[in-house]
Amino acid sequence: MDGTNLIDYTKFRLKPEEEIQEIFGVVAHIFIVYCNKCYKKFEREDKEEEHNKLLKILGEDAGKIVGQIGVDFLCNDFLSSKELLSLDLSDCDGVGVISCGIGVQFTAQLLEGKPVYALADSMQSANPTSGVAYHGISLESEKCAGCDQCYLNLTGGVCPIINCPKGLLNGPCGGAKNGKCEVNPNIECVWGEIYERFEKQGRKLTLESVQIRDYSKPSLKLKKTLSLQNQNLRSEGFYGGLHPLEKKEQTKDKRLESFPEPEVAVIFLSQHTGKRAKPSVKVGDKVKVGQQIGEADGFVSVPIHSSISGKVISIEERIHPALKRKEPAIIIKNDRENQLDSSIQPRKDFESLSRENLLEIIKEKGIVGLGGAMFPTHVKLSPPKKIDSLIVNGCECEPYLNSDNRIMIEYPEEILTGIKIVQKTLQVNKVFIAVEGNKPEAVASLGNLVKTNIEIVSLKTKYPQGAEKVLIKRILNRDVPEKGLPLDVGVVVLNVSTIFAIYQAVIEGIPLIQRAITVSGENLSKPGNYLVKLGTPFRDIVHYCMKGEKLPNKYELKMGGPIMGISQLSLDSGVIKGMTGLTVLRKPIVEVSEERDCIRCGRCVEACPMSLYPFYYAFYGKRGELEKAVKFKVENCIECGCCEVICSSKISILGFIKQEKEYARNSIKA
Amino acid sequence: MLVTQLKPEEEVLPKISGKRLFIFECLGCKELYFPKEEVGKFVDSLKEEITGRAILDYLCNREFVKAYVGEYSKEIEGADLVLVFSCGVGTQVVSSLLESKLVYTGCDTLYLNGFQGLSARNFNCNQCGQCYLNYTAGICPITNCPKGLLNGPCGGTKDGKCEVDPEADCAWVLIYKRLEKLGKLDTLTEILSPRDYSKNITEYLSQKEGVK
Amino acid sequence: MNFSEKLESGKFLVTCEVAPIKGVNIAKVLDEEAEPLRGKVDGFNVTDMQSSVMRLGSLPVCHLLAQRGLEPIFQITCRDRNGIALQSDLLSAYVLGIRNVLVLTGDYVTLGDHPETKPVFDLDSVSLLKVASTLTEGKDMKGNELDGKPEFCLGAVVNPGYDPVELQLIKMEKKIRAGAKFFQTQAIYDLETFEKFMKEAEKFKVPVLGGIIPLKSAGMAKYMNEHIAGISVPEKYIRMMAEAKKEERVKTSIQISVELIRGIKSLCRGVHIMPMGWKHALELLAATELA
Repeated sequence: MDGTNLIDYTKFRLKPEEEIQEIFGVVAHIFIVYCNKCYKKFEREDKEEEHNKLLKILGEDAGKIVGQIGVDFLCNDFLSSKELLSLDLSDCDGVGVISCGIGVQFTAQLLEGKPVYALADSMQSANPTSGVAYHGISLESEKCAGCDQCYLNLTGGVCPIINCPKGLLNGPCGGAKNGKCEVNPNIECVWGEIYERFEKQGRKLTLESVQIRDYSKPSLKLKKTLSLQNQNLRSEGFYGGLHPLEKKEQTKDKRLESFPEPEVAVIFLSQHTGKRAKPSVKVGDKVKVGQQIGEADGFVSVPIHSSISGKVISIEERIHPALKRKEPAIIIKNDRENQLDSSIQPRKDFESLSRENLLEIIKEKGIVGLGGAMFPTHVKLSPPKKIDSLIVNGCECEPYLNSDNRIMIEYPEEILTGIKIVQKTLQVNKVFIAVEGNKPEAVASLGNLVKTNIEIVSLKTKYPQGAEKVLIKRILNRDVPEKGLPLDVGVVVLNVSTIFAIYQAVIEGIPLIQRAITVSGENLSKPGNYLVKLGTPFRDIVHYCMKGEKLPNKYELKMGGPIMGISQLSLDSGVIKGMTGLTVLRKPIVEVSEERDCIRCGRCVEACPMSLYPFYYAFYGKRGELEKAVKFKVENCIECGCCEVICSSKISILGFIKQEKEYARNSIKA
Repeated sequence: MLVTQLKPEEEVLPKISGKRLFIFECLGCKELYFPKEEVGKFVDSLKEEITGRAILDYLCNREFVKAYVGEYSKEIEGADLVLVFSCGVGTQVVSSLLESKLVYTGCDTLYLNGFQGLSARNFNCNQCGQCYLNYTAGICPITNCPKGLLNGPCGGTKDGKCEVDPEADCAWVLIYKRLEKLGKLDTLTEILSPRDYSKNITEYLSQKEGVK
Repeated sequence: MNFSEKLESGKFLVTCEVAPIKGVNIAKVLDEEAEPLRGKVDGFNVTDMQSSVMRLGSLPVCHLLAQRGLEPIFQITCRDRNGIALQSDLLSAYVLGIRNVLVLTGDYVTLGDHPETKPVFDLDSVSLLKVASTLTEGKDMKGNELDGKPEFCLGAVVNPGYDPVELQLIKMEKKIRAGAKFFQTQAIYDLETFEKFMKEAEKFKVPVLGGIIPLKSAGMAKYMNEHIAGISVPEKYIRMMAEAKKEERVKTSIQISVELIRGIKSLCRGVHIMPMGWKHALELLAATELA
């Protein structure tokens, strides 16, 4: 934003005094709802502004106000109806609304049966000839009448419909004096501007064709159809969310291949939520494939294992790909002997094992959630509450990624066995396998095998469908309580790759030393789905898959997909358990920034699947008022990134959110 | 917030034929109907030389467009014209930043109900500056009645449906029913004076003046 | 006696619609449609581009009728003109000898043959009636003085078959307050509905002329039932039309209309015939006199 000529596009202002007094003349008790406005630079919280003006007009009548509420984006019917319906309006005989016409109409419909009074008039932004003028999703001065027959190609890119009070299409009227408009001599005649623009372009304005605006456009039907289409798309499945470009074609048909073993493996001690593992080897030790090299430190912790055979050459700090700070890692030099550790003992079936045995194996083999969160699986499988449903998460809603998809296509039997193991540990009967509709092959592959009590749910694609809370709402229509866990509503959600890892651990006896990742994006010669050894340095992957030797400056590397993926600072990092893929993307020309101002466009609110108001996190974050963000329930954020992706001002909201969540965690402890 | 449709080919092709093109594609306001795929297909089908192609969202934001104009300055310089696929606002912003360049749009723009607020909704507001909702039980006759009638329905209502769009409810029948529920049918007897269009023009021009 | 005096007189009135043509062959309208009814009707309603089809204007045709000593009723809609033009046309009408004005909102433009044109609807039927009344008081709608006052007998329309009919009654009352001195109705085929409506409308004590559209065929009746607001032609009439041989259709149609007019006669102050291209209005009127 330039900061110059930015327009405050607030759409309403209080009605004239007499009208307000008239309305208050007929009510005894009134409740006031005011909309916190949209499309204006969000610089201060002026929530009370309209209300104070109202009080001033009312004088004594102000006593008739029995209550008031400020609502952000009153027109957002999903969130606002929750807000308004929670109010006790029994004491009032009317509700006064200070908002644009949309908010008033919405409130009147919602509270049908209660008189609703508009206390504000909407403000115009068009001349009467053009109809309504619409601003963009920025605060620029350019506007558009949406006439569905754009004339800009005839007028050098200057709109006569909006800018000429008469909306003249065939040249100026005779009223312009010294190039100024006859209706207001302080503004330029737009046809003069059009003429000048043509001159600048070295063209002559000829006005050969005669233009007559077609007022039947856009047809009511088209508008209605598109509006409904849009609303349906938005509300499909769950509130909020996005439909990013999927970009899965590049690798969706590529079979999982084994990635070449690394020369040196970089195995971080922290590859799970909870305390990092304690190294159980020292420099110089020889290690075998699958040998435990770090032991769990407490209940919420898991051991780690060597993914190759070789020698420990160093235990040093490297930049951790998820934590983005230096973390200890065990560096192992490959001896290419490929000796298996004696602990790797395959087993025919798991039936003979007890629930406790199974949990012990799952812990000992270092299994964590492979969807990215890396929460120790044995903890998840030991819930303190009764679980009635297991959801196997095969959504993989993040663009570009296909690793889960390929696992489902190529290892359906292993997955089903894995599910049975989990069923036994959880004592749960009902299982859902959630797959997004863009993976028909995975659905078919699993569908051929599933029996009763396992239901494959094919969900229409929408991001972040794979988020646990969203998925539970979508499939079981249960709301995980604020700050709660899936187990609070009797559900455990496990990623499909985690299930596969459980299978491998229990049946094949292999600890978590390898996982499927998708390497995808731009400037790649060998994009694909690979089974990589944990600890494989990113440099190896880049060399193997990329065109040319080096990652060009213009590109960035993300661990994971483009939305939730984490930008990588160092090619010396290695693959960790929670890595779903490596995505190579051209750096955006305009990067997200903490500096930009919110313009209250409300897009983040529309996109937040957790029904939060993310723009406040940016607002308070920028001002350093982290405690205020906590009031807006920042702990409920699942960091899906929808708000940042959709932000029309490209503010790095997630950065603020992370700071604020940290603050919230610390302040609870304190 | 606006949505677009691709202009008919026969309108666009003669304007660009044989020219070297630089292309700006707006991804729209995200999560709105926007013919991304159609635009992609159309651009791919062009035989003209394309010197560069910038794909971004929120093309109406001058700061963002400026950055792209800088990044692609050579490609833009090498083009005879800049073809923009975006709403009217985006096209005007590009055009105002490239004043001496021929800038054409490949789209027609329209708006959907509810866009004055945040997103597509069933409600609409024409920003007439003189809200009538207090007379009409919160149902807007300006936007819901094609004729914008203020004093009751026309004779064209059939089975409670509108004469212009038989799928749409007659706004005045809805108003009547809601007022009846509220026990306020007497509101309907008031004769409302015609809409004051001078409010529009005064407001509009003063805003424009403020910008200049 | 002019139309306004006739309204006062209590006499049963007959008005008939004359539709200007698309073009300039004015003789067709004046000589073929209007002249044969000279002396048979109390007023000629001249439509204002009905169904939003562009045609010769109502104003000049009314003027030409007045010149011939035929009593015109100038129909004016809000579809095509803003407040300035509507007021000006009313003043013009007055100086051209037109005294009766029927005010309507008008069909929407997309229903006609110029669907892409700009719909105006600056005023609506109620506000235009009020404006016309203001003009007769010597002021324009903004309160500016006029040089000389026009005089009008203002009328409006009402649709007795409308659902909910209360809404029509509310609007009817509004129109009366805005200056309507008489009403012409949408076509009536169902006497029971009309009787119920008149029972409610009686209290306004304003003359109502019941509308009659003679049926041309069973198909036309069905079409109207489906598409035209407030019209429901009963099955028995549709059957009568369907069963009538081609050469007997006019006779059957007249028979139906006469039956309806007989019914209407006791309920309201007159009948308004809308032939819509049907060429037998004269025969119908002859038959009606028998009724």
